[in-house]
Amino acid sequence: MPAAAAVPSLCHPDAEPVEAAAGVESKGRRESFELLKARLAAKPVTLPVEAVVPTAVPELDALLGGGLPVGTISTLEGETGCWSLAAGLVATITRRSLVAILDDGSLYPPALAETGISLERVLVVPARRALAMARAADILLRSRICRLVLMPAVALRDAVWERLAKLAHRSGVLLIVVAARAAAALSAVAAVRLHCALIRVIVHGRRGLWGTLAGFELGINVRKHKHMMAGGSVRVRVAHVALR
Amino acid sequence: MLLCVSAANPPAPELWEEMLDALDAVSPLIEDVRPGLAFLDMHGIAGDARAQIAQTQGISIRFGSAMQIGAGPNKIAAQAAAYVGDGTICEPGLERALLAPLPLTLLEIEPETIERLRLLGIEKLRDLARLPYGPFTRRFGAAAASWHELARGIDRRSFIPRAHAVAIEASIFGEGRVTDETQVFFALRMLLARICTDLERCGKRAGALRLAVELEDAGTCGFDLPLATPTAHERTLFEMLRVKLENATFTAAIVGLRLQALQLEEGGEAQTLFCADDLDPQRVAVTLARLEAVLGGGVARAKTREAYLLEERFFYEPFKLSRTTQQCHQPELIPQLRLLEVREIPVELRAGEPATVNRQTVRECTGPWRIAERWHSSNLALGGVIPSPSTPLGVNSVEGRDEYDVVLEDGTFARIYHQGSHWYLRGVYE
Repeated sequence: MPAAAAVPSLCHPDAEPVEAAAGVESKGRRESFELLKARLAAKPVTLPVEAVVPTAVPELDALLGGGLPVGTISTLEGETGCWSLAAGLVATITRRSLVAILDDGSLYPPALAETGISLERVLVVPARRALAMARAADILLRSRICRLVLMPAVALRDAVWERLAKLAHRSGVLLIVVAARAAAALSAVAAVRLHCALIRVIVHGRRGLWGTLAGFELGINVRKHKHMMAGGSVRVRVAHVALR
Repeated sequence: MLLCVSAANPPAPELWEEMLDALDAVSPLIEDVRPGLAFLDMHGIAGDARAQIAQTQGISIRFGSAMQIGAGPNKIAAQAAAYVGDGTICEPGLERALLAPLPLTLLEIEPETIERLRLLGIEKLRDLARLPYGPFTRRFGAAAASWHELARGIDRRSFIPRAHAVAIEASIFGEGRVTDETQVFFALRMLLARICTDLERCGKRAGALRLAVELEDAGTCGFDLPLATPTAHERTLFEMLRVKLENATFTAAIVGLRLQALQLEEGGEAQTLFCADDLDPQRVAVTLARLEAVLGGGVARAKTREAYLLEERFFYEPFKLSRTTQQCHQPELIPQLRLLEVREIPVELRAGEPATVNRQTVRECTGPWRIAERWHSSNLALGGVIPSPSTPLGVNSVEGRDEYDVVLEDGTFARIYHQGSHWYLRGVYE
C-alpha cells in the first residue's frame, strides 16, 4: 500500500483533503504525517463558548480554543505556577458560579482573594487522605453544584480516575487536578494536560530587605488536548501588576 | 400603660429569650426591641402599674440580671421612666416633663448627629423640644421629625409583638425493636411528613433538625443537622437525614425516634427573576450534608482578616449559600502560597542572609521581614532598629520571627522563617 494512502484515516474532519499531501509521496510517510500535523496545527480551532472555561490568560485561551473544555479532567503539571494558573480559573468562574477546592491543608485563602476570587463562592472541602478526596470529588461531580472542582493529585487506582472522568463528562463539570507529575492513569484520562515550567524569577527592587520576589515568568506547554493538536506553548507573567 | 424592661448590660441572646418567655406570664404582648430592651403591653390586664412592675421585677430577678423597669403611656415615656430609675411610673400628660432633663442618647440617634447637635448647644431633650419644628426637620431630614415628637413625649411608633416560638416536633416509639435501616428510614419518613405538614401550616421553614434516637439499652444518640438553606421540603430534609445516618453506628437496637425542627424562619423562598445561573439551594444543602457525612467535617468557606502572621490572616466558617452579588475584579495571576506543615530545615548563612537552604544554593533572596505581634509593647521597637537574626528573640516573651522569600537552585520558590535559633519552611509558591 502506498505511504500516502494511510494518511486520510488520521485526518481531522475539518482538515483540507490530503490529496495535496500525496504530492510529497516521495518524502516518505513520516514527512507526510508531519506536514499534515503542521497543517492541522496551523488551522485555529475555536470551541463553543459554553463548552470551555477561560483561564484568565488570553494567550493560553487562544491556544486552547477558548479555554479548558468542561466535562473533562484537565491536569496542571509542574513544580511552579500550577496553583497560580488554577487560581485564575477559579476567579473567572466565581463571578457566576460555585467552585469547590479539595484542601489537603495547604490552601492559603488570602492569596486566592488577591487573585480576584470571590471567596463567598468557594467551597473549601477539607480532605487529607486520598480516599476522602476521591469520595468528595465523586459527590461534588454528581451533585453538579459547582462548575469547577479543583484538587491536588493523589494516589488513586486507575479505575477511580476513570470513574471521575466519566462523572465529569456526565455532569459537565470541569475537574482540574494539580500535580507535580501526573501519574500514567491520570494522564490517560485527562482531556487536557498543561505543563508549567519556571523560566525566570521576577525580583522587584534590590536583593535583601528592600527587595520583593514579585513573581515569576512561566512557560506553559500544552502536552495533550483532546480536540486539537498539542505542543503549543505560551509565556505568562505571574506577578502583581504593580510589581511587574 | 406600657412597661419598659431595660438592661444596662445586654444579656446573652439565649438568656434574653428565656426571660421574655417567662415574661409571657405578665403580658401576652411583648415587643422585643433588642437583647436588653423590651416593652410589655399592659392594656386590659388587671392590677395597677406598681403591682405589675413588682411582678416583672420578680421574674427578672430569677434570671440574675439587673433590669430597670418603668411604666408610661407610650414607649418613649416608659423607656424614660426606666432610664430615670427602677420602678418609676410616668402618668399620662407628664411625658414631656419627664423627658425634659434626659440626654439625647435616649432617642437612639447616631453618635455623629448627637455630636453635631451638641455643638449647636442641644444637649438635653428639652433643648430639642424647644427647637422650631419646621427649620429643624429641614436641617436634619425626615428622621428629625420623629426625634422632635419623641422629645415632646409624642410616640407614634407601632407596638410590634414578638412572635411566639413554635415547637414543631414529632416522635415515634414502638413496642418492638428496629434493627433494619429500612425500618428506621420508613419511620423517619413518617416523622418528616408530620413535621413538614406542621411547617407548611405555620408558614415556616426549618433552619436545622435535631434527631434523638432512643436505644434499647436506654442510651440515646443525638444528631444535629444544620441546614445551609432553611427549607420545608420533605424530600430534601429526608435526604439530609439519610446521609447523616449513613455512617452512624448504634450500640443497641433502636426503640424510638424524636425529630425536632429548629431555627424556624418565615416561609417562602427568595426567588430571582433572572435565575439561569441560580443554584438550587436544596441541592447545595443536600451536597453539603452528604460531604459532611462522608468526611466527618463540614464544608467551609474562607474569610480573610488583617493579621501579622500568615496563618492568622484567614479563618474558616461553615459554608452558606449567599445570594448577594459581589463586585468581582478582573482576575490577576499572582503567585499562590501553599502552606506546608511547618518543619525545621537546615540553613547556612552568608553575610547575614541565607546562602543554602536544605542543602540547595539560594539563587535569590529577599527579606527579612520582622513579624512580631505586640511589638509595640516590647523593646524590639526601641530605636527602630531591627535586631539581627542571631539576636535572641523572645525578650519580654514576644514571639517574633524573620521571614524570607528564597528561590532555590531547583526553581523552588519558598517562604522560610527564622525563629529563635531555628529555621523553618512555611510554604512554597506554586
